[in-house]
Amino acid sequence: MSTTAQQRKAVPGSRGQQHGPRKSASTKKPKGKRTSRLSPLGFVLALPPILLILLFVGFPIVLAVAFSLGFTGGLNSVVATIGLNVHEADNWWGTLAAYQEVFTSSRFQADLLVTVVVTALSTLIVLFMAMGIGLYLKMKDGRMAKLLSGLAIIPLFIPVVIASWAILTFYSADGFLRSVFAQFGLQGPVWGYTAVAIVIGSVWTSLPFAVLMISSGLQAIPDAMIEAARDAGASFPRIVYSILMPMAFVPIIIASTFTAIGVIGSFTVPYFTGPNAPNMLGVELTNFFVSFNQPQQSVVMAIAVFLVASVIAGFYVWANFRSAKDQGRV
Amino acid sequence: MAVSTTIAATDSAARLGRSRPVVSANRTSAIVGKVLVGLFVAFMLLFILGPLLWLGIRAFAGSWTYPNLGPDSWTLHWWQTVFSDHALAVAVQNSLFFAPLTVLISAVVCLPAAYAFARYDFFARKTFLIGLFATNAFPKMGLFATIASLFYTLNLINTIPGILIIHVLGTLVFMTWIPAAAFAAVPRSLEEAARDAGASKFRVFFSVTLPMAMPGILVAVVMSFLASFDEAQGTYLVGAPVFYTMPTEMYTLVLNYPKQVAAVFSILLSIPSVALMLLARKHIMGGQLAEGFQIR
Repeated sequence: MSTTAQQRKAVPGSRGQQHGPRKSASTKKPKGKRTSRLSPLGFVLALPPILLILLFVGFPIVLAVAFSLGFTGGLNSVVATIGLNVHEADNWWGTLAAYQEVFTSSRFQADLLVTVVVTALSTLIVLFMAMGIGLYLKMKDGRMAKLLSGLAIIPLFIPVVIASWAILTFYSADGFLRSVFAQFGLQGPVWGYTAVAIVIGSVWTSLPFAVLMISSGLQAIPDAMIEAARDAGASFPRIVYSILMPMAFVPIIIASTFTAIGVIGSFTVPYFTGPNAPNMLGVELTNFFVSFNQPQQSVVMAIAVFLVASVIAGFYVWANFRSAKDQGRV
Repeated sequence: MAVSTTIAATDSAARLGRSRPVVSANRTSAIVGKVLVGLFVAFMLLFILGPLLWLGIRAFAGSWTYPNLGPDSWTLHWWQTVFSDHALAVAVQNSLFFAPLTVLISAVVCLPAAYAFARYDFFARKTFLIGLFATNAFPKMGLFATIASLFYTLNLINTIPGILIIHVLGTLVFMTWIPAAAFAAVPRSLEEAARDAGASKFRVFFSVTLPMAMPGILVAVVMSFLASFDEAQGTYLVGAPVFYTMPTEMYTLVLNYPKQVAAVFSILLSIPSVALMLLARKHIMGGQLAEGFQIR
């Protein structure tokens, strides 16, 4: 794996400290890295965003977990009073009654299934498309490649609310797809307000980030390596599998984890394009909070989504540290 | 090491006297490849642009009967409806108030931190970086629901500071990660050279480091502006019914107005995004965004 690390280091712009030809770096300076001793100034400078997160993300999450376990006093007292169907703690560690209620309801189980399936499908499709576009960009650099990457970036320009609305009208009962089918006297499928539309919407909105991530990872691989493998007689699939995929491993993992995390907790896309029930948990937990006024059940669902998302996030952190280790930064 | 591998591979290929097998690949596979790429591009055109055009046309449509591929008549009537609607005008105003303010606050809070992450090693640095990331992993709506209950207690519901906090939270990752990568990419040697030439630390930062990191900061500013401009769920929960921004107004529009009005509003709402993105497009495609998402 050290090959990977060395190569990536040599790519200009991938990490600022290496510059100039390798040989001249032999003047043994302390490697131009971050100063090795701990800096109190750095700590103070980095503190403001962290404090903001602790106060308005970390603290509310702790409160939410306590609330889900039935602790209804203190800062939770307002929600507990307003909310319906609140389970109160009957133990020193709380109660799992709310969890039990939510997890055993068939409605939640159906929602969870939809959430997981939509997330997995969307991530796979996004990854497949982004790899295709990234590889084409890497192998051929022409007008077609420019057009493809330009197209794939467009969703980044469009607010998600509008994208969802546009996709709904495109695939709805009186949308474009059905109209085209009708021209030939056929009955087209109605995808508006179904899980299919959620997948389409999620792929649409997640594509730009994955394409940017993966194509920048692929571009960083030196052409000389591909040439060499080709000269040695490696087929295109072999080059992709043995050189490009391992060398762009970290960007690919980052693209897939961010896509999956984005989709699993999404609200706007499934809210606009999805069915009433079963829908994704992002929509369902909002329904429970806003429409049904059952904040505790809503919080339980949020924690369920978070648990799944943090498993995915674990991959991201692991991949990053693996790459850091490869490059001798840890 | 990699270089030597490369050389070795080229060498052995040359020694074996093997010519490139790719060149002699037969014509038909090349044509099949071209057709496949063409089909994929056509699919992408339809998949990406189709819904946008289909919605865009609606903004100028009078009536539209189902199986037809175009509207029955054209009109600008819906634009008039939107421009004369007071609630919509207020929403536009609110959006243009919150987004720049959010970017400003976010920059003040995050840019020093971004510099620190790039240039210093400090206690709990890795934990901080992962903590920033973790805010992305908790489902937004669940977070907003819990924040809302905290805001009730702090009396921040339906207030400007409350909405600003929600918006700033959504920009923290962009505003810290992307500039951090940009600062890290500024060569130390340049800074040292400026120092050797007698420039003060501040002078070095403002004349060398900051200008070189500017593309990354620009990308972060654009992404943060759009994150604030597009934020709907949290704003709705904390702001409604007192403050409506353009995206939250969109939710009511879709339910209560004719489709054409929502289409007009969509076009209006897209203008700032498209303009800003075009401004930063070069840097985003150039890898500034991708670079920011790798923990270092």
